[in-house]
Amino acid sequence: MSVATGAADRMRTQVRVYAVLIALLGVMMFPFYTMISTTLKPDATIFQSPAELLPTSPSVSSYLDVWAQTEVITWVANSFIISVSTVVLTLLLAIPAAYACARNDFIGKRTFLLSVLVVQMFAPVVLIVGLFDVMVTLGLMDSYLAVIIPSAAFTLPFNIWMLYGYFKTIPVELEESARIDGASQLMVLRKIVIPLAMPGMVASVTYTFLYSWNRLLFVLTFLTSAGKYNIPRGIFSMVGVLSIDWRMMLTVAVIGVLPLLILFAFLEEYIVAGMTSGAVKE
Amino acid sequence: MSILDDASAARRVRDPLDRMLQYLERHWRVYALIAPAIFFILAVVAYPIFETLRLSLYAAPRNSTVEVYVGLQNFRDIFADPFFYQLLWQTARWVVLAVVMKTVLGMLIAVHLNHDITGRKFFRTAFLIPWGIPYAISAVIFRWIEQPQYGYLNAILLKAGLIDQQIGILGDPSIAWLGAVVADIWIGTPFMAIIFLAGLQSIPQELYEAAAVDGAYRWQQFRYVTLPQMKSVILIATLLSTIWTFVGFDVIWTMTRGGPLDSTSTLVIWIYKTGFENGNLGLAAAFSAIGFVILLLFAVLYLKIYTRGDGESL
Repeated sequence: MSVATGAADRMRTQVRVYAVLIALLGVMMFPFYTMISTTLKPDATIFQSPAELLPTSPSVSSYLDVWAQTEVITWVANSFIISVSTVVLTLLLAIPAAYACARNDFIGKRTFLLSVLVVQMFAPVVLIVGLFDVMVTLGLMDSYLAVIIPSAAFTLPFNIWMLYGYFKTIPVELEESARIDGASQLMVLRKIVIPLAMPGMVASVTYTFLYSWNRLLFVLTFLTSAGKYNIPRGIFSMVGVLSIDWRMMLTVAVIGVLPLLILFAFLEEYIVAGMTSGAVKE
Repeated sequence: MSILDDASAARRVRDPLDRMLQYLERHWRVYALIAPAIFFILAVVAYPIFETLRLSLYAAPRNSTVEVYVGLQNFRDIFADPFFYQLLWQTARWVVLAVVMKTVLGMLIAVHLNHDITGRKFFRTAFLIPWGIPYAISAVIFRWIEQPQYGYLNAILLKAGLIDQQIGILGDPSIAWLGAVVADIWIGTPFMAIIFLAGLQSIPQELYEAAAVDGAYRWQQFRYVTLPQMKSVILIATLLSTIWTFVGFDVIWTMTRGGPLDSTSTLVIWIYKTGFENGNLGLAAAFSAIGFVILLLFAVLYLKIYTRGDGESL
């Protein structure tokens, strides 16, 4: 909307835009501020009523105590195990399917792609009862697989569509000439298709990783032993009915968010590309 | 070539099963590549849907393997219970308020991010963060903010003189849902902002220039250029947001578990509570079936919009 006519006008617009953005950002960041500032307060001043809005004597004691008082290391490790496994499983299923759809016209392709799209809308929580029955029958309760398998199923649609879109943009000629040079199909996929579809791959992997890192439902329902909790489940286990150790809980929360902030800082563009792919058509 | 051979050849072409086999023979590689994905989705999504629908016709306590067929009794129980209608109302107000706020705030952020300013990438990344962190974490942060004695919200309201004694938002059945929906809005707004921003960037600049020549004010430009151009983006984004808000589980469950007095329960919270807290899987499945029907309506609408006009783009 840069239709400002003069320099003064442009200046006014800039000031207004910054003012609004900073105000909105302040509101959006306020919850993070409360979280972080609380973890920096010494134990005694947290329970001051009303709360002091600025920690008067900041200390990192929470971060020293949290390792001894909670299972945070185990939870982070489990989050990694679950998220990475989900990413691998989803890609193993999505790459062949997306490639087949991008390279061929066949009966049922449109139906396949559209049904996959619908699956994405069938949120896990409405079929959790049936899924629970399946997991019990298969004897998968309290195993990581009970979380990894449904997470992969619900991230599969996004992955197939994302990769399908990127694979389609790779010229067939490139693959054909490699084939003439004697490369096998698998090699073509590994050396040409996947590297060229890298932005799509990154978006897919990030989406899947975030999905399984962030979700509580499957872990809450299918994993029963505390040693298998991931970060959200660990946090949830700290929400007591009668009392909550706020200081420890929020410290765990900060630790659970940190890896994601790093992810955002480096992969923001891919995440945005992934988010917008379903809603904004080229 | 005998006549017999010709006739059998003709029959073969006409026989649909045979034709299908011939087609498969030529294209089996393609189907082999998508088969694992199809099988996986059938096993992990379609079968549990079927299983849920089947269970909805049974009395099935969670802690036993005995299932007793009861026909439509679960549904009769649901429709006869006045609380069900209360639940639908609570779900509706939750979804409507959350989606409206997410849309308005998202648009506000997007419109201001759609300027050529330094630090735009920083702003975009920062606005994204609430969307990408665990819902359970957002939920406990908001629980802490709204905590009656030690929370920051009460401290601020007291300081500003807006209240003269601390209030327990999440403990009060009449306003607890507002305390919870704030967290949901906070989480869902970034998605809308990012989608809207992408939509705004695809609007041709000339349209604004033409409007400016015509002397249109900023609001008029928004009203007569931006909104019409953004129609389909807004439609799809709000539809997706509606679906996700409708099925949102983690936030409410972590903040209130549907309480106090079930005032923050939505349909999906009730599914979980019925099945896994009260241990009545059959009844929970019946609630799920109702959820399916609602989701199916949304899904059909989404497909209609998504495939509108350009079936060839697939």
